Amino acid sequence: MSLIHVDRVSKQFRKGSETITPLSEAELQIDRGEFVSLMGASGTGKSTLLNLIAGIDKPTGGRIVVDGTDITQLSRTKLAAWRARNIGYIFQTHNLIPVLTAYENIELPLLLLPMNRSERQRRVEIAMTAVDLVDRANHYPRQLSGGQEQRVGIARAIVTDPTVVVADEPTGDLDTETSSQILDLLQRLNTELGTTLLMVTHDSDAAAIAGRQLRLDHGQLVEQGERVSVAVHPEAS
Amino acid sequence: MFKFAPYLLKTLWRHRTRTLLTVSGSAVALFVFCFVLTVQQGLEQLTKQDDSVLVVFQANKFCPATSHLPQDYDRIIGEMQGVRDVVPIQVFTNNCRASLDVVVFYGTLADKIRQVRDFTLVGGSWSAFEGHQDAAIVGQTLASRRGIQVGDKFSVGDVTVAVAGIFTSENRAEEDYVYCHLDFLQRTRGLDLVGTVTQQEVWLDESADPEQVAAAIDAKLKSGQIETDTRTKGAFQASSLADLIHLIDLSHYLGWACLFLMAVLLGTTTIMTVEDRIGEHAVLQTLGFSTLRVFRLVMSETVLLSVIGGCVGIAMAALVLSQAGISVGAEAVTIAFEPSWNMVVTAAVTSVVIGLIAGIAPAAHAARADIVTALRFSG
Repeated sequence: MSLIHVDRVSKQFRKGSETITPLSEAELQIDRGEFVSLMGASGTGKSTLLNLIAGIDKPTGGRIVVDGTDITQLSRTKLAAWRARNIGYIFQTHNLIPVLTAYENIELPLLLLPMNRSERQRRVEIAMTAVDLVDRANHYPRQLSGGQEQRVGIARAIVTDPTVVVADEPTGDLDTETSSQILDLLQRLNTELGTTLLMVTHDSDAAAIAGRQLRLDHGQLVEQGERVSVAVHPEAS
Repeated sequence: MFKFAPYLLKTLWRHRTRTLLTVSGSAVALFVFCFVLTVQQGLEQLTKQDDSVLVVFQANKFCPATSHLPQDYDRIIGEMQGVRDVVPIQVFTNNCRASLDVVVFYGTLADKIRQVRDFTLVGGSWSAFEGHQDAAIVGQTLASRRGIQVGDKFSVGDVTVAVAGIFTSENRAEEDYVYCHLDFLQRTRGLDLVGTVTQQEVWLDESADPEQVAAAIDAKLKSGQIETDTRTKGAFQASSLADLIHLIDLSHYLGWACLFLMAVLLGTTTIMTVEDRIGEHAVLQTLGFSTLRVFRLVMSETVLLSVIGGCVGIAMAALVLSQAGISVGAEAVTIAFEPSWNMVVTAAVTSVVIGLIAGIAPAAHAARADIVTALRFSG
C-alpha cells in the first residue's frame, strides 16, 4: 500500500468573480522512501497539491490518505497535531524564526511532542550533524548565509523524523552552487535515511535528482519516471 | 507553555522600542489607577471605622472652629449606660477647607492618649510630653512632610508647641495630626476656650448599641447648655468630608478611564505585532502549532506586557505614596493615601485581566488566519 494516496482530489477557490480550479480529481500515489519531484510552470497548482498533502490546506473534494490516515477528515486541531508528528516542511524562503538561534529553530517542532529536554537535545544534534551545521548552533538567521539558513530549515523539517518531508522550491532563493549543495543534501537524506520526499520545483536540473519526476503541464500531470499511476482531470472554471 | 518562554521573551525584545513604549503606557495607567484605588481605600478606611467610638459635636455646627461643648459633658456622658470612657478634645486647624497640607492639633488629656490611641513613639519620650504643658507629639507623616524633629518648636498661627515625640499609628490618618495638652490649647492666645472643647470622643462597652447610646446622649443633653449631635466616628468623619467624598467618588471614573486606555494601548500594540508576524504564525502552524497554541502565545505576549507595565506602575505608585506621605483633609479630618497590599494585589490582578481582555481579539486574529494565505506574507 502507498504511503501517500491522493484520491480524486480537487481544489477550487474564488478570485474575485472567477472560480479557479488548480486541481481537479487529481490522483497520485507515493511509496515510502520515494523521492518525488513535481515540476510545472507558475500557477499550475503544484504548490497547492503540496500544501494539501502537507495538511495546511483542505481540498474541495476527494481524499488524501497518508500512512493510513485520511487527513481530509481531520479537524483543524487534529490536523495540526498530525502535522507536528508526520510532516517536515521545507520552505523556499527558509522561514526561520528570526529571534531564535539555529539550534532553537530546529528544536521548535520538538517542543510540540512529548519529549524531555535531553531527548530533544539528542535529536537536534543529530539533525544538525546531518546538515553539517553543528558549528552554527548559536547563530541567529541573520548571521547565516542563504544556504546555511536553508540547511537549518531542512534540519527543522527532519528533526521530528516525520513520515514525509515536503519541499516547496527549496532552491528557489539560492545561487547555483548553494542549490547544488542543498539538492545533494536532500538526496542524501533520501538515500541514507530513507526519508520520503516530495519536492516542488520549476528547475528541471533540481527535479532530475529525484527518483521519480512528475510534471504539471497545461493542467496535465505527466509521469516522467518509471511509474504511470497519476491522473489529473483539469476542469474548466 | 513555559517551553515557549524564550520565544516569547525574545519576540518582545526584538521590538524593544514598541515593547518599552507599551510597558511605559501601561505603567502610567496603572500608576494612576493605584492612586485612585488608594484614595478610595483611604476614604473607605476612614468612614468605616470601628462603630464602638462615638463623636459628640455641637448640633448644627460643621466646622471644628464653631463647635463649643462644655468640657464637663465628659462627666455627664461618662455616667451613661454603655459608655466605657470619654475623651474631651479641643481641635485647632490651620485650614478648615479642603487642602493637601492640613495641620490639625488635637488637644486632650495627656493621660488619656495612651489609653485610646495605639501610638508608638519612634522619637522622643512620653515623659517629655507629659512633663511639659507646651509639649506635643507629632505624627510621623506630618513630621516628614514638614521636616519636624524632636526638640523643634513648631508653630501654626498662634499655636506654638515643643515637639516631645514623633509617633506612628496603625491608622495612617492619625499620623497627620499633632496631639498636645488640652488646657494648653484652650489657653492659647486668641482662642481663650477654657472650659469648652470641640468634641467629646466616647468609647463604648463591647455590648453597647452605638445608635442607642448616641440617641441617648443627644436626648440627655438636649436640655443642657449646648445641644449635641452624636454619631459614630466613621459617620462623623464621612459627614465632615462630604464634599471631598463626592469628588473622590467621581475619581473612580478616572480609574476606569485609565484601564480602558491601557486595554486600547495593549490591544493596538498586539494587533500591530500580529499583523507584522502573520507569516511567522503561519510558519508555526505549518510546523504543527495548533490554533489554540498560537492563540495562547499571543495572549501570553499581551498579558506579559500588561503585567510588566502593571508591576512598574504599582511599584512607582507604592514608592511615591509611601515616600510622599500624601493626605487630603477638610474640617480637621484627613484621608491618608497609604499604599497597601490590598492595593498591590487588586492592581496586579487588574493588570492580568486587562492583558487578557486586550489580547483576545489580536490572538483570535492570529490563530484563525488561513495558513496558505498567511504564508505569502512570510520570508
